[in-house]
Amino acid sequence: MISKSLAAASTKPVILSILAGGEIYGYQIIHNMIEISGGTLEWSEGTIYPVLHRLEKERLIRSQWKISENGRRRKYYRLTELGQQELEKERKQWMSVNAVLSKLWEPLASYD
Amino acid sequence: MFDLEKAVKDWRKSLNANEALEDGDKEELESHLRDKIEYLIDQGSSEENAYEEAIAKIGTSQILGTEYYRETTRRLSGRPSWEKSRWMPTLLSNYLKIGLRKIKRQKVYSFINIVGLAVGLACSAVIILYVTNELTYDSFHPDVNRVYRVATHRISQIGEHTFVSTPAPLGPELKASYPQVEHAVRIVPPYENADHVLVVHEKKRFFEDRIFFVDNAIFQVFQIPFIQGDTKTALIDPHTVVITEDMAKKYFGDENGDGPILGEILQIEIDYDTGTVESQDYRVTGVVKNAPTNTHFKYDMLLSMPTFVSNLSSFESDWMNPMYKYTYVKLFPKIDASEFEKQIQHAAAIASKVYAEELNREMKLYEYFLQPVARIHMHSRLMAELEPPGNWYYLYIYSLAAFLILLIGCMNFINLSAALSTTRIQEVGLRRVVGAQSRQLIGQFLGESFLITLLAFAAAFGLISLLLSPFNRMAGTELMMSGLAQPIVALAICILLILVAVGSGGYPAFILTALKPVSILQGKAIASSRGSFLQRFLVVGQFAISIFLVICTLTVFKQLDFMRGRALGFDLDQKLLIRIQSNMNHLRQDYETIKQDFLQHPSITGATVSSRVPGDRSGAGYYLTVKAEDFQGSPRCKAITVDYDFIPEYEIKMVAGRAFDRKLGNDEAEAYVINLAAVKHLGFSSPEEALGKSFMAHYHRKTTRIVGVTDDFHFVGMHDAVEPYILDIENSLFSTITLSIRVENMKDLMAFVEKKWNTHFPGVPFEYSFLDENFDRLYRYEQQMSKLLGIITSLGFVIACLGLFGLASFIVRRRTKEIGIRKVLGASTTDIISMLSRKFVLLILASIVLAFPLAFFAMNKWLQDFAYRIELTGLVFVIAAVGALAIAIATVSFQGLRAASANPVNSLRDE
Repeated sequence: MISKSLAAASTKPVILSILAGGEIYGYQIIHNMIEISGGTLEWSEGTIYPVLHRLEKERLIRSQWKISENGRRRKYYRLTELGQQELEKERKQWMSVNAVLSKLWEPLASYD
Repeated sequence: MFDLEKAVKDWRKSLNANEALEDGDKEELESHLRDKIEYLIDQGSSEENAYEEAIAKIGTSQILGTEYYRETTRRLSGRPSWEKSRWMPTLLSNYLKIGLRKIKRQKVYSFINIVGLAVGLACSAVIILYVTNELTYDSFHPDVNRVYRVATHRISQIGEHTFVSTPAPLGPELKASYPQVEHAVRIVPPYENADHVLVVHEKKRFFEDRIFFVDNAIFQVFQIPFIQGDTKTALIDPHTVVITEDMAKKYFGDENGDGPILGEILQIEIDYDTGTVESQDYRVTGVVKNAPTNTHFKYDMLLSMPTFVSNLSSFESDWMNPMYKYTYVKLFPKIDASEFEKQIQHAAAIASKVYAEELNREMKLYEYFLQPVARIHMHSRLMAELEPPGNWYYLYIYSLAAFLILLIGCMNFINLSAALSTTRIQEVGLRRVVGAQSRQLIGQFLGESFLITLLAFAAAFGLISLLLSPFNRMAGTELMMSGLAQPIVALAICILLILVAVGSGGYPAFILTALKPVSILQGKAIASSRGSFLQRFLVVGQFAISIFLVICTLTVFKQLDFMRGRALGFDLDQKLLIRIQSNMNHLRQDYETIKQDFLQHPSITGATVSSRVPGDRSGAGYYLTVKAEDFQGSPRCKAITVDYDFIPEYEIKMVAGRAFDRKLGNDEAEAYVINLAAVKHLGFSSPEEALGKSFMAHYHRKTTRIVGVTDDFHFVGMHDAVEPYILDIENSLFSTITLSIRVENMKDLMAFVEKKWNTHFPGVPFEYSFLDENFDRLYRYEQQMSKLLGIITSLGFVIACLGLFGLASFIVRRRTKEIGIRKVLGASTTDIISMLSRKFVLLILASIVLAFPLAFFAMNKWLQDFAYRIELTGLVFVIAAVGALAIAIATVSFQGLRAASANPVNSLRDE
């Protein structure tokens, strides 16, 4: 498990990254996240929707109701141009943080 | 059988409970749930298990709602309104707004509440300060629990005496022979009879009376912080002195400012009671902080003990005389004081043996005992205390008085808020209906009560600063505002505030909360009869307290008046006293000339010289006995030495024989006058029988006849029976001039007296006092009490009347329509006023019934303390009762009059 504040901070880049792969609906986002993280990222699944709505309000993503194969109404989300740029910004920031931490922890890593 | 469709529908319905979720949100969530369930079923779960796991994963409507809300709200905290705050009552701002609005809208009632409480709180705070000050006496000394005073208990032929002084060699003996003693210190006031010591520096000459010889060890036993100099060098050499800051300012302030004073010289004149007066130079070896007010040993100047020894060589070996010498010891840690107390009886044996050898008489008992220093002020009331001890009795009375005032204030508060709470029934009903819990309502009303209490305390703060200086003057204390910051005082005041707020706000809070919302909204819950019973009870209580206080005050005033009036047996008014402290011989030789000089002024109608005047508890004098050969065995009387003019000037009444008479020529040598008490004491059956009887004076061995008998006179007040006195014309002990004056031009008179004084006693500071002041010191406590009672009574009465005023105005307001209808139907103003006041009159009558026996009992008990006292008469009670009734009726009528004289159209028009 990761801490609450880190989870909150990372939600945005994670969701944007998943959406970069194409149009997708809420359940699938969660499903992908769980699979990719192997269970380390976990929270009340429903709380992803308020986040998605906020991202939509920020014009980073756009949503659309669609009828699926089995006749169920689903809301699909996809990245906008602005979302694309935001993802790039986020990626750079996270990579730089990652680079710093990797360097700092190199000696530790050697003990493993 | 588990129905998945139904379960999902139910789940979706449960989302409705949360207002933050929009329809679209719910649909999206449902779609999510269904996907999850399908996935789980694919994984092999049963429908039911899949459903359970899915709803657990997706989160409760509460959590979801909060998250959704947080995304859409503009509130900073992001906390949805339906969630509880962790640290603040949800509706606090609303409560505060309503509370302040109530205070603002009901100005009169709020004013009454706040004023009543503020006065009560201010009085209580002052008394808390006072009590703390009294109870913490001397506790500031380091290791005070190891510091003791040694006191004496002895039984001799003269009788049994317990006193706090001990012979001079005891201190050194204890330090030398007892390993338990870390330090021993002696405190010796330089006088036995004189009150004052003359201190001179260049042109400055003052009498000082807080001046003591002490051992250097005093700085190890008591906390006396140095400003200049130090404990090692101060008071080591003879003729050195340590003075306080105030003294430094007084004598050296002009020239030295705050600069160094060490090494400066003070000239101090001391009467060693050996007939010699020594005026010597003392070098200042230290300046210390002023003595705190809460110590029994208050000093202005400390003189080095070696001085005393060098002036009076017998001092260090004088085991005989314990008078005016005090010994304190500081024991090492972990010493058992009671064990030590047993051992020091060896020292007592030394004193006892010396006494037996010198006087050739055995002491029946001679023992020393220890008094813990911190307990001296409140627990030691022995002979020869350094200062008058604290008085538990008055501590209780003061506390009770403050408590009563606070109680009356609280009663107003309870009464008015209980009355006003009827106007808030609708509010409570509405709050209830929208979901307020009892806890919240109680919280709200207690909170309002806290608000009022805090406002009252803020007002009280101002009052405290106003009250402190008159209180200090009255009680002889030096309490200060800053004392409120002491942890114990602050804590006590906080507890008091909580008690007041909960006690006053609690009742309305609980009755309002107990009402059922349904009955409120149907309009059924109007002020219950329980509420009005409480109101009546409180009014009765308030007035009972007030009437009780009035009776007490009047009784105390009357008793004081009695004790200062003609019953004293002499005239107390318009007499100026001048004490002679220096150059006594001039007075004793030339007193007739001095008197004549003063009598030149037209406003001075008489002058007399004596050894003692009324109000002096003690004074130089001697005992006289009928048979000189058996001085110990026969009854003795105290003598007051006077001149020819004493009896007429003091207007002492003669009951037999004659007063002293100058014309007869030889009354100095041949005549005594005694009082009635002495007649009885000496064993004569009547005043006439005493006339002509001879008398032997122990002191100057003269045999004289009794020429007259005076009526009894109370030299030391009326607490105790009149002492037997003998008046003797004898100049060797004269110390005080009494001038009878006519008060016309006081300034001119005093200038004259001072001028004459300076011609006769050049260089001696002129100090005077008035006889009534001197005498009233005997009644200090009674006067304090009468003043306090006077203040408390008037405050209490005003507060109680304010409360009554508020209550009456409330009742009148509620009955406006009724009054209007009555007027329309023909009731006169008088009818209406009497209708409104009838109920209150009954209440006041009830409180009279309650107060009378209490006051009677209390005052009877108080009067028992006086040997001569007034009778408790019905008049006092009648005055109190009629006064209370009159004021109450006036208060209520004022409101009634307003209601009754209003045009009924106005009250009946609306609706």
